[in-house]
Amino acid sequence: MPENNKLARYAAIFEDIKAGDIMSSNVVEISAEKKIAHAKELMKIKKISGMPVVDEKKQLVGIISIEDIIHALEFNKINDPIRKIMSTQVVTIHKGDSLATVVDKFENYKYGRFPVVDDEKRVCGIISKEDILHGILEKFNLIYIHDQKRTSTLNTEYSAITGEQLKTEEAKFHYRIDSSDIDAAGTGAAMLKQFLTGKNFHSDIVRRVGVATYEAETNVVIHSRGQGDIYFFQDEDRFIVRVVDNGIGIEDLDKAMKEGYSTAPDYIRERGFGAGMGIANMKRFADKLVIISEKNAGTQVEMIFYLPTQTWPLI
Amino acid sequence: MIKVRDIVALLDAEVLSGESKLDEEVKSVGASDMISDILALTKPGMVVLTGYTYPQVIRTALVTDLLGLIVVRGKNIAPETIAYARENNFLLLRTRGYLYSSCGKIYATGLRGSDAGK
Repeated sequence: MPENNKLARYAAIFEDIKAGDIMSSNVVEISAEKKIAHAKELMKIKKISGMPVVDEKKQLVGIISIEDIIHALEFNKINDPIRKIMSTQVVTIHKGDSLATVVDKFENYKYGRFPVVDDEKRVCGIISKEDILHGILEKFNLIYIHDQKRTSTLNTEYSAITGEQLKTEEAKFHYRIDSSDIDAAGTGAAMLKQFLTGKNFHSDIVRRVGVATYEAETNVVIHSRGQGDIYFFQDEDRFIVRVVDNGIGIEDLDKAMKEGYSTAPDYIRERGFGAGMGIANMKRFADKLVIISEKNAGTQVEMIFYLPTQTWPLI
Repeated sequence: MIKVRDIVALLDAEVLSGESKLDEEVKSVGASDMISDILALTKPGMVVLTGYTYPQVIRTALVTDLLGLIVVRGKNIAPETIAYARENNFLLLRTRGYLYSSCGKIYATGLRGSDAGK
């Protein structure tokens, strides 16, 4: 399925997200009266390929890209003011626009990013495709990505949900999943649960971690045909569980998401597995869940569990 | 209050493991043969009737904080399953009764499932 169709389909699901919720508000803009050379330096320092251009009232009047700068260099206009070469036909997004509108813009205009403006046409942010992705991950319990381009996220040490670094050597708990032994499925989850019980965490969160990890681990054993690992990380206010494998990946994530759908063979079902509830249960018990999978490159499940706040209000 | 030992008497069950739990109170009961259903639908402290006898059932029960399991139809239970339960002092009962009848007898005592009130 082409990238844009896929984006359009997600847009329908995430209709209530507004552009303002997902934009990067840390936007670098430049005055139209500045020299092109100035824009060139700024873009070099900030490592960006384009910038919104504003007038003295900070209102958006144009956009300048690397192409414009190359053009200016070529014709020796590098010391001209930006307004002379900037594109004035700027496609903008209003901060109140729905995600569907944002996605439409990406589909209809082949730009990599769009400036976001407020009612006074002042630039308040910028949106790239990545911002859409992060916005959705931040806001929702679950998203899955099944996309060749996501190899950069798969098997890296950065959290797919929060972007923070998760070094496997800093995991507080690690278990190597033995995918060849169906009877051992769930052992890692049981050990993790025991580990957490020993640390005196509240039984509710320990149970939730246990159940969700059990499902993720079982999936690796039943479906991955590869090797897997469970990593547990603890942050100030949350637990992060990562279950990764290098197996065959999930063929059809839409189906895998459906309760009751299962590709488990009979001998697995005979053992009480394969109810098609795995992902549904992970979603039910984790506070946030991201599954990243690529065919023949493995699957990565990341789950976040927020610790209950320590201070309860007195009543 | 209904205790584990009352259920043992009611179902004429064998106690295979977890003898020390006989005086604990049973608060709610469920029945399932599917691991995922046990994981998703039970509450901590529940007793679950099942026809499932692989060692995984004990692991599943431990992960979900069940009080105990009752294996129905007098099924053969793998020695590993019983050993695993005993290692964890987990309550494991076995009755000759079938799933439906056993559930019915327990239901008649007034005990309800995790969907009670829904």
